[in-house]
Amino acid sequence: MNPRKLIALTRAGIMESLQFRLGTFCTLIGNLLYIVLVYFLWKAIYASSGSDTVNGMTFSDTMIYLVLATALFNFLEMFIVWDMSRSIQSGKIILDLLKPMNYRRYTFWSYSGSHVVLFVLTFIPTFIVVMIITHGAIPLGFNLLWFIVSTILALVINFSIEMLVATVCLYTESTWGINIVKETIVLLLSGASIPLAFFPEKLRRIVSYLPFRAVYDIPLSLLLKKNTSCEIALIGLQAIWVVVLTAAGIIFWNISVRKITVNGG
Amino acid sequence: MGKRRGLLFYLSIYRKILIQDLKSKMSYRADFVISTIGMVLTNVAGFITFYILFSNFPSINGWDYHHMLFLYGFSLIALTPVQCFFDNNWNLRFMVQSGDFIKYCFRPVNVFFYFMSEVFDAKGLGQLAFGIGTLVYAWSHIGIAVTFLTMAKLILALFAASLFMISIMNIAAATCFWIQGSGYVMVIMFRFKDYAKYPASIFEGIFRIIFTFIIPIAFVAYYPSLLILEPDSFPLLSILSPVIGIIFFIISYLFWMLGVKKYDFTGS
Repeated sequence: MNPRKLIALTRAGIMESLQFRLGTFCTLIGNLLYIVLVYFLWKAIYASSGSDTVNGMTFSDTMIYLVLATALFNFLEMFIVWDMSRSIQSGKIILDLLKPMNYRRYTFWSYSGSHVVLFVLTFIPTFIVVMIITHGAIPLGFNLLWFIVSTILALVINFSIEMLVATVCLYTESTWGINIVKETIVLLLSGASIPLAFFPEKLRRIVSYLPFRAVYDIPLSLLLKKNTSCEIALIGLQAIWVVVLTAAGIIFWNISVRKITVNGG
Repeated sequence: MGKRRGLLFYLSIYRKILIQDLKSKMSYRADFVISTIGMVLTNVAGFITFYILFSNFPSINGWDYHHMLFLYGFSLIALTPVQCFFDNNWNLRFMVQSGDFIKYCFRPVNVFFYFMSEVFDAKGLGQLAFGIGTLVYAWSHIGIAVTFLTMAKLILALFAASLFMISIMNIAAATCFWIQGSGYVMVIMFRFKDYAKYPASIFEGIFRIIFTFIIPIAFVAYYPSLLILEPDSFPLLSILSPVIGIIFFIISYLFWMLGVKKYDFTGS
């Protein structure tokens, strides 16, 4: 694969997302307000509990975890399901399928630009704010390296989940419903809305066998050094999910793409 | 804007448009079923989150499990009208961008009314059922007497509460007349509603004011429901919430219409 083609797609994506500066600014303000909501809620929760540490998490641990989970969520968010359903309706998908590039690869790389922009515009500012508020409670060391590797793997896993769900939409012609089901399941079971440490034992065991925790929980545990097993094992687990979900996605897509029916285009 | 039409005229039009919308929805039955399942699932997930929280922490800011459930059920019911009747706001930015929005400006009825009436989102009814179930359960455990007065207060409180999220979403949607790529504004505002089910007393300082008067999520459940939960000692804002709600709604309507005017002028 010629890397120049991929870089061109990334650049186009970056320019496209920088087009809407005012919108990006509003997003930034909105995200900060959202973090304030999370902060007050958990502050009240910890104040009512009477102890500083609940399930091995202190208030600042929980805060860092949830704030960075929100930042990761914004950074990882993709609209593949929406885009695909719209391009099926309009017929544009035919043009994408005819491009001299594998559709899956094309979709991934055309999103990469907005990922770069979002990482710089949302994740890094949030990270800095968290560092200032907690007076540097995030350890800075090798964990940053693990975190970056793990986030890239999380990105691929998230992309694979999106592609699998988008492929389901080829059959159901339902987008909103399928998308909301996906979003709900991912957010709940990945630990993005409540850290997995708070889950009841049984539920936590079930969740540990599912791919969703590889999206938010593993990168964040690595960053905060809250991991119970060693780094290599967690990264390995993510890598396994990357392989499994990518293979499943490719097979499912290849079977389903023959079924696409497009009116016009 | 031509001559003023009566309420009855608008009701009869709404009924006609609604029937058309339901007919077209029925032709995508699979989509309807999956969407309803999705809606139920979000509520179940919301409840699981709530349950996990309370299995770790017995109370939040002096609110116990059943009082929190009351707020939760109340907020779900109060969020039903925005889901059912104002869902077309989500399509606004696509229509404005593509230019299709102009069709609404040529009809001899109110633009805002005509635009909103085009979509009735039946999925919201699942949320309503879930909310009523939760509210009744919490209500019976707290042991509030069911009298004519409390029921009247409940209906008034729910009516007032529902106006706030409608106003927030109207304004968030109307930003698309001025800002390109405004989709995120709506997405974020919509996510704020998840925090409406917690007591607003958790906010401090300037943020108390922001979440009461600027992004008024404190009114979606907390202030109105105090009318019923604390009948003897509710704050002034609780009793004022219907008035404030109407003011918010009018402001959001005027802002929305201002956007339409701007759209007209640019002729895009």
